Amino acid sequence: MKPKVAFFDFTSCEGCQLTVVDSLQTHLDLLDVVEIVQFREAMSERGEDYAIAFVEGSITREADEARLKQIREQAALVVALGACAHLGGVNAIKNLAPLDDVRQYVYGDKHKWYETYAARPISAVVKVDAFIPGCPIDREEFIRVVKAVLLGKKPPIPDYPVCVECKLKENNCMFHKGGFCLGPVTRAGCGAICPTYSDGCEGCRGAIPNPNQDAMKDVLKEHGLTVDEVMARMTMFNAFDASQLGK
Amino acid sequence: MSLKIINKSDLMPFVANMMGEYEVIGPVANDIGFKFATLTDASQVRLNYNTTVIPPRKTLLPTQETLFSFQKDMLAPTFDMKWRVLLGVHTCDLHAMCMLDEAFARGQPDTHYMKRRATTTIVSMECLDTCDENSFCKSMNTLTATSGFDLHLIQLGDFYAVDVGTTAGEALLANHAKSHEATRAEIALLDKTMSQKWSKFPVRLHLDGKDLPALMGVSYKSPLWEEVGKRCFGCGSCNIVCPTCYCFDVRDEVSMDGKSGERYRIWDSCQLDEFARIGSGENFRKTHAHRLRHRFMRKGKYIAEAFPGHQGCVGCGRCARACLVDITPVGVWNSLRQDHA
Ligand code: SF4
Ligand code: SF4
Ligand code: SF4
Ligand code: SF4
Ligand code: SF4
Repeated sequence: MKPKVAFFDFTSCEGCQLTVVDSLQTHLDLLDVVEIVQFREAMSERGEDYAIAFVEGSITREADEARLKQIREQAALVVALGACAHLGGVNAIKNLAPLDDVRQYVYGDKHKWYETYAARPISAVVKVDAFIPGCPIDREEFIRVVKAVLLGKKPPIPDYPVCVECKLKENNCMFHKGGFCLGPVTRAGCGAICPTYSDGCEGCRGAIPNPNQDAMKDVLKEHGLTVDEVMARMTMFNAFDASQLGK
Repeated sequence: MSLKIINKSDLMPFVANMMGEYEVIGPVANDIGFKFATLTDASQVRLNYNTTVIPPRKTLLPTQETLFSFQKDMLAPTFDMKWRVLLGVHTCDLHAMCMLDEAFARGQPDTHYMKRRATTTIVSMECLDTCDENSFCKSMNTLTATSGFDLHLIQLGDFYAVDVGTTAGEALLANHAKSHEATRAEIALLDKTMSQKWSKFPVRLHLDGKDLPALMGVSYKSPLWEEVGKRCFGCGSCNIVCPTCYCFDVRDEVSMDGKSGERYRIWDSCQLDEFARIGSGENFRKTHAHRLRHRFMRKGKYIAEAFPGHQGCVGCGRCARACLVDITPVGVWNSLRQDHA
């Protein structure tokens, strides 16, 4: 029997789910090995008997927690899909300002009608078995992770930084072209796509284990960024900090 | 073997002729620098390039290479048997490739490397000026070469002197280039140019490369490793760009149904967190300091001892260019040298 798979979304742009739809176009054989029972973005049927849940989006309201916990209870495996679910992502930029200010800025005088709290990755609420990083996810990596999960193997998500893939592509370094880049502290797997197109890495795949953040700040400053600009770049996708939750 | 001359105006026709019969790989320009690439037009070649991000070793050991494909009980090795000419290799990189030849031939020879090596003809180039402020080939005795090439080019005004190193080189020249035996005057100009070039290369390393194994032998416990380790990202750039690094990781790509797939290898780096992590999760080189020491031990000592007559560093300066926190062989070795002065 094919394992049953479902897709869910919380606070996000749905870009990662779109990438999944996209990868199905080039990897139709995926449907030979799994059965998709729920995927709001792509189908109207809704099965609740899934074994693998792919969850997109960060958690930004208390009310989201119950739904996520229910998904966790049903699914044998929960996979965070994309930067919002994996890291908190861009949604967590709001955590850097007082919550009331943020609500007023977005909802004006109606701000009391809208519930919100500090944005967080799904791992801050439930146990997560695997993650697929990126904003959006890389479609080849999505396929690789699905294959690994089906074979009962550890998903092949690199632990090394973007610089490795960047150098293997023979790119000239962004810092040598007058640019800025978070490649030395950011998890590879995207094929260094941003520096390959002469755009510095913004860290959407999150930090590698043991990142040298101090050296990263120094290098960015040496190349001309102000302290504020350094912080802005380093918190674009990575503003979530568990200590902010007061847990 | 012998010394021939090619007029400058005959060089492009030579390249074009070779392209008729071989895959010709040479330095071409990219956004702000150069890289080795398969030529699609002879005019793309830039023989006056200074350096490349990735060394030409990628021709013999591709950054990623399929080793074999498999299906249930069937296993078929994959070989890429194109005949190639690798053009415009600087002598530092040539010395590095000679070391790789030794490393891959030892013990159980690496079939994939050996086959590529056997189908590759190397046309190297003499540097007449230093490539940039990071190189130190003079101290590593690699700024010229007397062997390892099939043909070796030295530009002398409006002609190239061609040192013929092998019979394969001799045939390449005879079949594809218009050349003549060097005259006495041309030989004299070559001698003059060669003797004048040395003073153009500054001495940056404060010891001779031959003394590095001894220096590294007394530097294992140096506090320098902790110091530089604090700055290091563990990003691996220094390894990927190095002409003498040859570690690779082996990975499998399996089909969706799990029944077939292929095994490939991809360049690896000893500076990465996971390089020395073993199955149990234990990491026997835990810190950046340990990994940097390991890298410099290999570059300065281990390789020279394992492969006598060869060096683990050829002074190309690529790692110094690539490192964003200024951890360089010249900096590290000069500092260790000073501690033991
Ligand atoms: S461009 Fe970025 S990823 Fe590429 S080598 Fe430079 S710092 Fe690393
Ligand atoms: S280079 Fe950086 S910002 Fe770009 S996709 Fe990769 S991890 Fe994300
Ligand atoms: S020495 Fe430099 S290039 Fe090498 S891993 Fe450390 S930071 Fe990266
Ligand atoms: S260690 Fe650095 S200078 Fe020496 S060969 Fe390697 S890249 Fe070149
Ligand atoms: S290091 Fe020396 S031999 Fe190598 S490219 Fe530079 S000048 Fe030429």
